[in-house]
Amino acid sequence: MQIIENLKMKEKLYMEKLENGLTVMIIPKSNTRKKYIMWGVNFGSIDNHFILPSTKEEVEIPDGVAHFLEHKMFEQKNGTNSLDVLSSIGVDANAYTTNDYTTYLYECNDHFYEALDEFMDYVQNPYYTDENVEKEKGIISQEIKMYDDHPFWQVYMNALKCLYKNNPIRIDIAGTVESISGINKDTLYACYNTFYTPSNMLMVVSGDFVPEKLIEEIKKRLIKKENTAEVKRIYPQEPLEINEKKKVVEMDVNNPLFVIAFKDKVLENKEELVKKHIAIEILLYILIGKSSSLYQKLYTEGLIIAAPDLDYEFSKQYAHITISGQSNNPEKLTEEFTQELKQLKEKGIDSKIFERVKKKIYGNYVTEFNDVSDIAKMFMGDYFKGINSFDYIENHKQVTKEYAEEILKEVFDEEKMILSIVKGK
Amino acid sequence: MKNIINIELKKGINLHIIKTNKFKTNLLSVFLSTPLSKEKVTSNALIPAVLRRGSKNMPTQDEISIALEEMYGATFDCGIDKIGDDQVLKFYLETINNEYLPEQEDNLDQAIKILLEVVFDPLIQNNEFSNEYVESEKNNLKQIIEGRKDSKATYAYERCIEEMYKNKPYSLYKYGNLQDLEQINNKNLYEQYTNLINNCKIDIFISGDVQENVQEKISNNDNIKKLQAREATYVINNKESRKKESKQEQEVSESMDVGQGKLIIGMDILEEKDKDKYVALVYNAILGGTPTSKMFQNVREKNSLAYTASSSFIRQKANVFIKCGIDIPNYDKALKIIKEQVEDMKKGEFSDKNIQEAKTNIISTINFIPDEQDTELMYYFSQELSGYEMDYEEYIEKINSINKEEIIELANRMQINTIYFLKN
Repeated sequence: MQIIENLKMKEKLYMEKLENGLTVMIIPKSNTRKKYIMWGVNFGSIDNHFILPSTKEEVEIPDGVAHFLEHKMFEQKNGTNSLDVLSSIGVDANAYTTNDYTTYLYECNDHFYEALDEFMDYVQNPYYTDENVEKEKGIISQEIKMYDDHPFWQVYMNALKCLYKNNPIRIDIAGTVESISGINKDTLYACYNTFYTPSNMLMVVSGDFVPEKLIEEIKKRLIKKENTAEVKRIYPQEPLEINEKKKVVEMDVNNPLFVIAFKDKVLENKEELVKKHIAIEILLYILIGKSSSLYQKLYTEGLIIAAPDLDYEFSKQYAHITISGQSNNPEKLTEEFTQELKQLKEKGIDSKIFERVKKKIYGNYVTEFNDVSDIAKMFMGDYFKGINSFDYIENHKQVTKEYAEEILKEVFDEEKMILSIVKGK
Repeated sequence: MKNIINIELKKGINLHIIKTNKFKTNLLSVFLSTPLSKEKVTSNALIPAVLRRGSKNMPTQDEISIALEEMYGATFDCGIDKIGDDQVLKFYLETINNEYLPEQEDNLDQAIKILLEVVFDPLIQNNEFSNEYVESEKNNLKQIIEGRKDSKATYAYERCIEEMYKNKPYSLYKYGNLQDLEQINNKNLYEQYTNLINNCKIDIFISGDVQENVQEKISNNDNIKKLQAREATYVINNKESRKKESKQEQEVSESMDVGQGKLIIGMDILEEKDKDKYVALVYNAILGGTPTSKMFQNVREKNSLAYTASSSFIRQKANVFIKCGIDIPNYDKALKIIKEQVEDMKKGEFSDKNIQEAKTNIISTINFIPDEQDTELMYYFSQELSGYEMDYEEYIEKINSINKEEIIELANRMQINTIYFLKN
């Protein structure tokens, strides 16, 4: 087992790749009773085109299969539902699907190993029937419709559609009511058998554990499976350019919502990724964070009510920056933002401001280590990007003003900027 | 075992220190509690927004933000809450514990100073707030009030409450209303601020791995020293404050441009008893609080009518709310199924296993409280507002003591007050 210690956070990561290819990460926390476990599969909504390992046949699956499959993992052959079984022993279980992966999880205080029996059993034993697949379509349709009425989700999805021409990230994770109607149990089994293999999965656990003992308990519950080769996924060629500059949609809302986004190129070099991410976070705060002069101006002019959400989302297939919030005049706000961006590029960054914001970002990373659930989620999300979460703490110091200025010029490119708006009718 | 120390600084002003070493942060908060009232709700909602714009020594928002960023990104937040019949103005400051700073610094001292200054030492000119700040915050609050319907599920829930509590304080929207907002200016808002600060209940919480001297630091703070002792005016949430009359069930529907209908059913607990606050938790868990609950199993799993199907218990008002998102034409079908679940509860159609599972779930939630800093803080504050104190062990004991007869008895005092439907 590999042990990585972070002295600043006073935390340790225990990591092991098991014989069957499964990676296990354990971050022990001795002073908490809460325990959190996630079992993730590198199969997300964007993985909709791949080579079936069994037949070597190239297949394209309907939109929303990864998410549908996640819904259908809980029902067992003996008629029980694992969500119910876990709930009955006081264990809160759940699952979710992102663009890049699907993850099953639970949190508990007591009965951890009892829950682990059920948890590892249901993730390893799918049971799909025509009937239970059909039934789920009604439930997922309501989930899709809930998001359709959600202006915050719509303005975000439209931003992705503006950014990307071909990448399946532009498609809703849950698919559409039409696309899911084409899903049957064979689709689900084929995807399960392709992606739910140990080498394509990661388990992360945080809580009061002795790592050596926990690893043994996990091994005991694993079904024997071969270490398989990596799944060959096929993604469409995505141009560096954006797809559409602007998209405005009307919904029943009072305060218009906006997302300003920049398309970025996918970075191959892992070392550079973390540094770049830190620099982008600093830049976003300097540009439009709470203490920025632009934010003060927008706020005083009544163009923004609250600090916008700032994000850099990336994987091995896509990368973009989003700035999202509500404004009664998103166009004007965007104009002022663009002005500010130009000025910052011309004048360079004030070193005092840079150091201050850099401190703030450090505090954000520390706070992430407060809760076992945040810790597990962070390590999993980062792992699927090829990153170890400690790297943010470690690399923080090395991000210089000069480096940030380079990133500013390279990434915050007006040509790659889009605007998505949802406004009232 | 209790990890909280309560200290009366002055009459009506209490300091609560929660000693815990579970977190890398210290969480500080100030809560100002005052009765919800039609006349004051809007100006009270505006006060935190104006305060965070600037204090006497940090007269602009960016000065405050800069001071916070210098402390490795301390986060300041403020907001408005409605807890029972009280309106609560909340101010939070979260800072990194000194132990995790890359350099030797004292973050906590600075945090206490900043937070207390923002709340108690505002920017004042000639006994008035800054006109610019008040006008711009009025404009923001207007947008918040108008934007209320942007989030459909919350809107539907709040509308159901409004219909249930017509003409009563609890019907008030925590952010107030547009008519009253127009009447507010920098002079009368400052008057209301002074009035509030002199009369409201003040609670200061500190949670974290803090030293014993933190109490002195607070009581010696100039802004605390200048506060007057008071007979705090606020509503203690108890059986009397939430007494209900039996009413005819009402159906209300409203149209909006939505694809999915939101169905909310608000129920009253009549003739409340002391133990109800525990019994109702178990009742709620069986009805709609867990994945094994009647709502989840029957509305979602068996009939595929919804993705969200649940219920929640609001202790401060002795209400249970059933919530689900359904296709609009399925209204009658869903309502019929939900009513059957409510009836089944009355008839005692649930097993001992259901009860045990419900209890296990509730107890598990109680055990999570000390592992989440803000949850623990709110747990104690909520008790403070309700006038009782209970540690986790005692709470768990109460839950464990509940039997089937008590749940059935409560179910039969549960009455549907309002059925609210948001459709298109």
